[in-house]
Amino acid sequence: MDDEAKQLTELLATDLDGGFTELVRIHAQVVHIFLLRVTGSAAEADDLGQDTFLRAYTALRGYSGDRRRALLPRAWLLTIAANVWRNHVRTSVRRPVSAMRVEDAEDLWSDGRPGPEERAATAEDRGRLVEALSQLPEIYRVPVVLRHVMGLSYGEMAQVQGCPVGTAKAQVSRGLRHLRRLLEPQEAVRKDVAM
Amino acid sequence: MNHDNEEAFSSSGDLGLRLAALGPRGATTPEDFALRVLRRAGISRSRYDTYVRLETAAGGLFVAFGPEAVTGAELEARHGPGRERLTPQWFEESHRRRVGRSAIPTDRAPAGLRPALRTGRARHLAIDLSGLPVDERAVLEAVRSIPPGQLRPVSWIAREAGLPPGPDARAVVRSLARNPATVLVPCHRATHDDGTPCDAAYAREAGDALRGAEGIDMVTVRQWARGGDTLLGSDTTHIYCHPTCAHARRITPAHRVPFRTARDAHRAGYRACKSCRPVAA
Repeated sequence: MDDEAKQLTELLATDLDGGFTELVRIHAQVVHIFLLRVTGSAAEADDLGQDTFLRAYTALRGYSGDRRRALLPRAWLLTIAANVWRNHVRTSVRRPVSAMRVEDAEDLWSDGRPGPEERAATAEDRGRLVEALSQLPEIYRVPVVLRHVMGLSYGEMAQVQGCPVGTAKAQVSRGLRHLRRLLEPQEAVRKDVAM
Repeated sequence: MNHDNEEAFSSSGDLGLRLAALGPRGATTPEDFALRVLRRAGISRSRYDTYVRLETAAGGLFVAFGPEAVTGAELEARHGPGRERLTPQWFEESHRRRVGRSAIPTDRAPAGLRPALRTGRARHLAIDLSGLPVDERAVLEAVRSIPPGQLRPVSWIAREAGLPPGPDARAVVRSLARNPATVLVPCHRATHDDGTPCDAAYAREAGDALRGAEGIDMVTVRQWARGGDTLLGSDTTHIYCHPTCAHARRITPAHRVPFRTARDAHRAGYRACKSCRPVAA
């Protein structure tokens, strides 16, 4: 992984267009899924994902070779994606939660070989979780998604968020607590039914 | 980083696992997302290849292509038993190593690719073999001229490729093993001189599936190989062929005359078929 990242930044430094195609090939999915989980909508994730890469390309064109070589591609792209999303939230009229959201969650459930985690969670459970994530205040949503959905280390997270590692940890912890509270009423119902 | 992960799991417990299930392994990105990104950024089409995954008799086949020609193809089922299937990511990485361009997924196959795969007639499909040494390219071009449903021995391929006469079988098999466009350059139609299939670049089962789909009866082919007869003549025309040649297949059982070598056939007063060219004309 580190080797791959090094090869990629070297390529970006020497051949911008060739490096950019590799950047997109390797990281398109990560950016898309991050945006899917913070927005809760596949259509928005798609639009914002396009914006993210367009901004990245424009920025790269202005960077010197050395600056491109020093990039941490994944953290850098997620930083841009998080900013693109924040700007989007700020400038757009907040729309009510649409019916589209739960559908998204189920569509995405159907594909891929299920690992143990996936098997444990039913499609319904995923829908509930996606819904709860979209209700999580923005300041917690990005840290929780970065840490627990995308599996970033706290160090990498701190880079994306531009904050100290301790702050990143605290935000994740508070975010999880908040998420549990959002899920609680539903979870209680689920336990009742189970009994 | 490991320490980090343990900590995350212990403090977040079940919720952490449920969130992880929403991550990269549990979600799919639209197939053409990356491609649309590159188009919107205005990257020249010549800077990257695109690829699709198509079904064949031997399972999934990844096919990469540039604007003009197919640039690579690899079967999902890999060489030897117990090997893991080729994932899209592996295919992308090996393509990058081989041609130096990124392979970006798309859902649109280039015109002519699907029919070529369906019918086995891929001879006129544009395939870019320009990155290969001259000899290897000549071998693969010779293989491309083998019609669907027919087999040719390595010595025939070497001759058609214009390789210098001599013990060149190993060089041919090496070129077959490095075929960059599996299935589309039909190496499954190449056999050793004793008639057993080479299948140099993929598992025997994959080769059998491809040959079966083209109507080649492998049981008969193996019987022939065991018996040592590599040529088939007709006692009405006194012409001899490779046994899978379209003309040989029309000979009724009563008139079939098997030969071990071309010399035997000549001695018996037979001449070589001009379509399948068992010896140089």
